Amino acid sequence: MTSPDSLRNRESWDRRSDEYQERNAEFIGRKDEPRWGMWQLPDSELGILGDVAGKDVLELGCGAAQWSILLAQRGARCVGLDNSARQLEHARELIAAAGVDVRLVHASADEVPLPDAAFDVVFCDHGAMTFADPYRTVPEAARLLRPGGLLAFSHSTPLAMCCWSDQTETVEPRLVGPYFGMHRFADLPDEPVEFNLPYGEWIRLFRDNGFRVEALVEVRPPEAAESTYRTAAETDWARAWPMEEIWRCRKT
Amino acid sequence: MPEDLTPHAAVNRESWAKEAASYVAGAERNWATAEITWGILDVPETEVKILPDVDGKDVVELGCGTAYVSSWLARRGARPVGVDLTAEQLDTARRMQAGHGLEFPLVHASAEDVPLPDASFDLAVSEYGASIWCDPDLWVAEAARLLRPGGELVFLVNGTLLMLTSPDVDPVEPAGTELLRPYFGMRRFEWESDDAIDFHLGYGDWIRVLTSHGFEVERLVELRNPGHGSGRYDLFTPEWAERWPAEEMWKARKVA
Repeated sequence: MTSPDSLRNRESWDRRSDEYQERNAEFIGRKDEPRWGMWQLPDSELGILGDVAGKDVLELGCGAAQWSILLAQRGARCVGLDNSARQLEHARELIAAAGVDVRLVHASADEVPLPDAAFDVVFCDHGAMTFADPYRTVPEAARLLRPGGLLAFSHSTPLAMCCWSDQTETVEPRLVGPYFGMHRFADLPDEPVEFNLPYGEWIRLFRDNGFRVEALVEVRPPEAAESTYRTAAETDWARAWPMEEIWRCRKT
Repeated sequence: MPEDLTPHAAVNRESWAKEAASYVAGAERNWATAEITWGILDVPETEVKILPDVDGKDVVELGCGTAYVSSWLARRGARPVGVDLTAEQLDTARRMQAGHGLEFPLVHASAEDVPLPDASFDLAVSEYGASIWCDPDLWVAEAARLLRPGGELVFLVNGTLLMLTSPDVDPVEPAGTELLRPYFGMRRFEWESDDAIDFHLGYGDWIRVLTSHGFEVERLVELRNPGHGSGRYDLFTPEWAERWPAEEMWKARKVA
């Protein structure tokens, strides 16, 4: 059964999809190579996915499938999953224009209608690991991966979640909210529900689902890095403290 | 007397020689109890459950100070060896051993260069010992060398967020909410309030150090104020430690 949060986020993303793509599509679609996150730093520098040729890859929360298209062009067999039908309409346009083969699935990542042990890589870039409950998505990722498979995802850091102020609507250079008990962020009625966990809780969840933690890459944007997601002041914050990070976990 | 110390180890030996007298009372209190509790917050091991069954295990405590952790493990059937760089701390440990009739080897050495053989321990433990006073890459490499394949490493450090929010003043003032220094690049710290040099890493760096020395990360336990804090230290308020992690424990296993 689709959870109330998944339904809320489906409606929210259907509503905001056009605006999101208008604001960000060019920035995240101009890829000469796979790039991650709010500042579009190259995978080749961050060392997360590496060579995907010949691999079965599932993107959890693919949006307009900019990532999956790029990986398909590099020889991956890609499936893009998204909870928003409107996002997937944008994806279909881009896939047709690129002339690549990417299969799209309309579903929430906490309940994926795909078989067990079907993928070598399950990943997302500020996707389902942010917008669905990790207590449901991490077990799903474990189920979908083959032994030795890679789970990799970027998201906002727990520190950034602690420093976010709903009053100023930006990150502050101070602790605003509590760290302990962090899980579900649903305070802003028109925004999607977001999820995050304390570091120790992420590690426990990975281990409980048969993952070995290989790396936690805390992204530091270069000076004056461009972003359509963050203001210049927020990018300055992110040069002192990690705002975005990428987990890399191996299914054992 | 250990020679060829790293520069920070030499500084820390001097500093701890002066500080040792102020740790005698804590040693007496900790040696007098059999219950294992962790950190400034005194969180009981019965809640944290981070230690394996130590009965019959060879344990090395890296930066043992007055060796009260080793005493707790010895009473549970472990064969501990305490390693510390400060002769004055080991003097206290020996007095405690004699007073409690609980003898185990104490080695006067830096945990960055331990004069003990490879693959001779099942568990390496450090509570505010090597875990903060030694260079992470050096002492974790030594822990990896000293452990048998499958051996476990358990250590406690100051919370990462505490290291970002602690004022650098003398005397010490409790952490607030302002982020006073950057996270990126955090590693080696010197504080106005003491002469020592300590080391603190962010989360990603701890994972990198542990995995690069052949460990698999098993747990990170972020200790939360259990509501009965002893108030021995003044690094944070009880309220702070209810909201943010003042102390963190890592557990890692040496890959066979």
